Amino acid sequence: MLRTCPREKEVMELVALGQWPVAEATAPELRAHVARCRSCSELVLVATAFQRERALAANAARLGSPGVLWWRAQLRQRNAAVERIGKPILGAHIFALAVNLLLAIGLAVWQARHGFAWLTRLEHLPRTATLYLSSQWLDSLRSSASFGSDWNWVVLIPAAATLLLLGGAVIYLVSEKQ
Amino acid sequence: MPWESVIPSIFARDVHLDASRTASPPMDNEAFAEFYERSARPLWAYLARTSGDPALAEDLTQESYVRFLCATRREEGEVAARRYLFRIATNLLRDHWRHPRTASLEEMPENLFAHCGDAAQADSQMLLGPAMAQMRPRDRQLLWLAHAEGYTHREIAEVTGLGSASIRLLLFRARRKIARLLTDREPGREL
Repeated sequence: MLRTCPREKEVMELVALGQWPVAEATAPELRAHVARCRSCSELVLVATAFQRERALAANAARLGSPGVLWWRAQLRQRNAAVERIGKPILGAHIFALAVNLLLAIGLAVWQARHGFAWLTRLEHLPRTATLYLSSQWLDSLRSSASFGSDWNWVVLIPAAATLLLLGGAVIYLVSEKQ
Repeated sequence: MPWESVIPSIFARDVHLDASRTASPPMDNEAFAEFYERSARPLWAYLARTSGDPALAEDLTQESYVRFLCATRREEGEVAARRYLFRIATNLLRDHWRHPRTASLEEMPENLFAHCGDAAQADSQMLLGPAMAQMRPRDRQLLWLAHAEGYTHREIAEVTGLGSASIRLLLFRARRKIARLLTDREPGREL
């Protein structure tokens, strides 16, 4: 059963201030109360023991330098700041990679639907002379001037991806400078 | 933007703080050194006597201060700062009890064994040592905070994370138990 004495607070304050045991003449009534009150006598016994122990332990403390702790905290804060800044950059890298993968997959699917027509052109490459290849290449580019041509897309998509990557790199460098 | 203006807000989520707390500049080096001077010995004593391991107390004291410095908190004065420090230390000690780390011989500091004689001597001087050893860790913490540090039930609840209502009962039981143990050690002593 939880039974506490209303005078515990008073006793505790005296113990905490180091004023216990009080002189018989100063507070005879309080001393008499503690002598007969189980709760208060327990409190005096325990609190004086802990106060004494605290003083002993504090003197035995082996402490480091506050300067070293300060430096360690500064270092930890800086590391955390660097880690925190690095998180969005990692996210941007993952996003760029995902976009490029999606583009590559889209391109592959799109080319598969059209039967990889450009591959048939590559098959003829070994049989042609170097000059002929150059002229043929330029001719084919010229002939595929319409926007719906296969070659336009083949050139356009990697170019766009490269621009995206370069743009990301520029934004990263600008934000890092700021 | 200088690092110093960015850093204080970094660790807002690292410590267990109320959401109501707002960012504030951390202590400067000199203020910290003064605060350390006043609070380190009581903190070490708390950790050493509740854990029963002076070396662990040394480690946890250092870690407590580093986390304290990294934390973003509202300026509430030294009393609140000290209470917050004890809260960090209590959480660290609880984490240690949950997941005790083992150290290899290579990891141990060279002067560890040199202090063994001193530690044994200090232990023999401990008045509460044998009685504390028979108490549960949580009871040791509660008793120390209440009777060595003089914290109120509300403050102990804040430091330990326990409910304020349960502190009273837990403390009452713990006090009764340790009083009995102390009386058994000193049969001449009357309650």
